[in-house]
Amino acid sequence: MGGTLLTVLAGEAPAPSDPGGFNGTLARWAENFIGVFQRGAETFTGLVVGIIPLLIVLLTAVNALIRLIGVERIDKVGELAARPGLQYLPVRYLLLPVLAVFFLTNPMAYTMGRFLPENKKPAFYDSAVSFVHPPLGIFPHVNPGEYFVYGGIAAGITTLGLGLGDLAVRYFYVGLIVIFIRGIVTEVITNIMLRRQAPASDEEPSEVTA
Amino acid sequence: MATAAPARRNRMDTVNGLLSRLGRSVGGVVGALYQAGRDTIDMVIRNVLPFIAFISFIIGVILETGIGNWIANRLSGLADSLPGLLAISIVCAIPVISPLLGPGAVIAQIVGTLLGVQIGRGEVPPQYALPALFAINPQVGCDFIPVGLALGEAEPETVEIGVPAVLFSRLITGPLAVVIAYFASLGLYS
Repeated sequence: MGGTLLTVLAGEAPAPSDPGGFNGTLARWAENFIGVFQRGAETFTGLVVGIIPLLIVLLTAVNALIRLIGVERIDKVGELAARPGLQYLPVRYLLLPVLAVFFLTNPMAYTMGRFLPENKKPAFYDSAVSFVHPPLGIFPHVNPGEYFVYGGIAAGITTLGLGLGDLAVRYFYVGLIVIFIRGIVTEVITNIMLRRQAPASDEEPSEVTA
Repeated sequence: MATAAPARRNRMDTVNGLLSRLGRSVGGVVGALYQAGRDTIDMVIRNVLPFIAFISFIIGVILETGIGNWIANRLSGLADSLPGLLAISIVCAIPVISPLLGPGAVIAQIVGTLLGVQIGRGEVPPQYALPALFAINPQVGCDFIPVGLALGEAEPETVEIGVPAVLFSRLITGPLAVVIAYFASLGLYS
């Protein structure tokens, strides 16, 4: 309707059946231009309808649970994790990061490092920060602002009509293995660098700064 | 009758105390739930929805302009084999690059979403989803090391050593994570 009205008003426009010439080109451009946003809008609707409702309910439940349990209880685990000895490695780089990330969530989880001796803080940070994405499939409350690290790939699986449970659980488990390895590797590297810096610190203190 | 009155009052007090304790704890639970709901809606409006808006626009541009096909060919060429995924993870874990890719996990989220589109189209087999999740993300938190260590009340000397220690460690553990995830994905979606 609007189109015919416009062509009538324009007067010299060609037949509306097959627009050519200057106006036809403009019309095609306009269609392509708005098509970008229409495709974006479809994606937006898909994501909002598909992800947000579940995310909201799940986040509410877990947030409430955390409030009822009380976050100060994991301080005891922090003190336990500071002890030396091989048997405390899983506490330090598995139990503590998992509890810290689950209860304190993304930025505040790293405050648990305050219980540890200085040479183990980088390793704990590495371990904890590596666990802010693997639980996203099961516990998105740990880092909802970065949900699409997991959610983007998961959307593809959903498109294929496959279930997400298996992927989410495996992501979680592999995350556990990876943060444990990261903690140990980073602790070893930190100790090597500390030892190397100790004699060199008299001459070139800024040698290791990256 | 005269001796029963104080006993009854006592019982009344116990019931009252019980009721008020019950009321208070129910109130506590409901309050916690309500506050949790408020926090959640806050979080969704402030962090999740803006990101969805942003990523929807990017996807619209990518799919409609044909950039999508170009990126798709490059990505699916890399993401459907273990060596390709290892290559992605090594590039993302290079100590100079990883802190630049880190902030807000924006790069990981965009690449993840693009890969998701490829998986949905059938260009990348779905069993590569798990190793891909680790391949696109060895740089997690590399931009945040000094702040994260400061939150853990680390000394400045620790930060000086901790930053390169974590970055170098990622060069080893980044690709290693992809290999572990690759073997953990055996039997997934097949």
